Amino acid sequence: MSDLWATVSAAIAQLLSGDAELWGIVGVSFSVSASALLIALLPALTMGFVLAYFRFPGRWLAISILNSLLAVPTVVVGLVLYMLLSRAGPLGDLNLLFTRPAMIIGQILLCFPLLVAMSLSAFQAADHRVLETAKTLGANPRQAFVTLLFEVRFALLAAVVTAFGRIIAEVGSAMMVGGNILHHTRNITTAIALETGKGEFVQGVALGIVLLLLALVLNVSLGWMQSHSRVLRHGT
Amino acid sequence: MRLELNHIRQQYGEEILFVIDQLQLNTTDAVHLHGPNGVGKSTLMKIMAGLQKPTSGEVRRIHSAEGNLHQQAVIYLHQNTYLFDMDARSNVEYGLRLRREKNSKKVDNALVWAGLEHLQHRQAHLLSGGERQRLALARALVLDPALVLLDEPTSNLDLESVERIEEMLQDLHRKGTGILLSCHQDNALTKLCNQHWLLAKGKLTVQA
Repeated sequence: MSDLWATVSAAIAQLLSGDAELWGIVGVSFSVSASALLIALLPALTMGFVLAYFRFPGRWLAISILNSLLAVPTVVVGLVLYMLLSRAGPLGDLNLLFTRPAMIIGQILLCFPLLVAMSLSAFQAADHRVLETAKTLGANPRQAFVTLLFEVRFALLAAVVTAFGRIIAEVGSAMMVGGNILHHTRNITTAIALETGKGEFVQGVALGIVLLLLALVLNVSLGWMQSHSRVLRHGT
Repeated sequence: MRLELNHIRQQYGEEILFVIDQLQLNTTDAVHLHGPNGVGKSTLMKIMAGLQKPTSGEVRRIHSAEGNLHQQAVIYLHQNTYLFDMDARSNVEYGLRLRREKNSKKVDNALVWAGLEHLQHRQAHLLSGGERQRLALARALVLDPALVLLDEPTSNLDLESVERIEEMLQDLHRKGTGILLSCHQDNALTKLCNQHWLLAKGKLTVQA
């Protein structure tokens, strides 16, 4: 028990000391996940909107595939991407394996289906009068779309928060296509796995605290957004 | 401006909802559209407002030479009017912002016209049914609409609110806006109409 407390205390001390290596790892995690989210966001929202508002052949198939992709393990995404990006793979000439762009691609593949599925739900739950009201007041299709985004903003923010939480905490894809290279592709989750494997728990616990705090902040934000969204929808 | 409907046909699958050969709505008109439930009154109004395409036929907006160039809007108001998730003033400003037109005096006047100046910073979802309907009319007024199409504007409103809406519509009509309203019962609003259209059995009959 005393060992555990000693490890946690040392981890907190390391966090507060501003340890460059530790905060560098945190920085890699945030920059990779934020980049993946930013790249995936607009195409995912557009696809969610199209699936919610347009009827076309194969629509149900697209929704079924997206829902299936939600359950794909991160390590499988990593494996597929590894095979594509490895020297012998079809994209091997790009030399992306064990780089941050490879990690970003992996995280895009992980968050894209989630963003589409959650934005699809948000758009389907939106009042059908939003677009009609916007159009009748003179909005062109782009302006009407922006108005709709505004009206369902809390549900979309919840999608963004959930997607960010999923990709920043994933380890399978980051480990396989990132390679866990210090100062380059070592992020929070791969560093925890490495340090634990070496039996050096202090840095692992410190990074775990960062992830736990992040999870807490994301979940509190998510709860607030969902309650706010309900209040707005029902006016209560 | 004049709205002209030519050879409009609306059907769902094999079922024909209505067929209208010729129909006109002018800015000088105040029309009461009535008919049984489910005959397609809301659909017809949405077609006229350009929110829905008919199965076949065309809707034309014919602008008169002497008319106000800005007065082109044909605005449809839902039975339960939709207000954006913002305060009352921002709702009124919405259409002007789309036009990149900044005119706070116009917004002030519209809010006073609707008797909502004291509620302008209140979130729209906190307004009562009558206040919501008045706000929707104010939101339309700032755009100088040529025609306003109101779908059951008095449903779920008390007598006082109905009278207030009637005054606002009368005023709007005096300012040169054509009005088409659908209403099940005769009330103060339908009395201000100079034409009555009956939509029944898939046909529209214009009554004096």
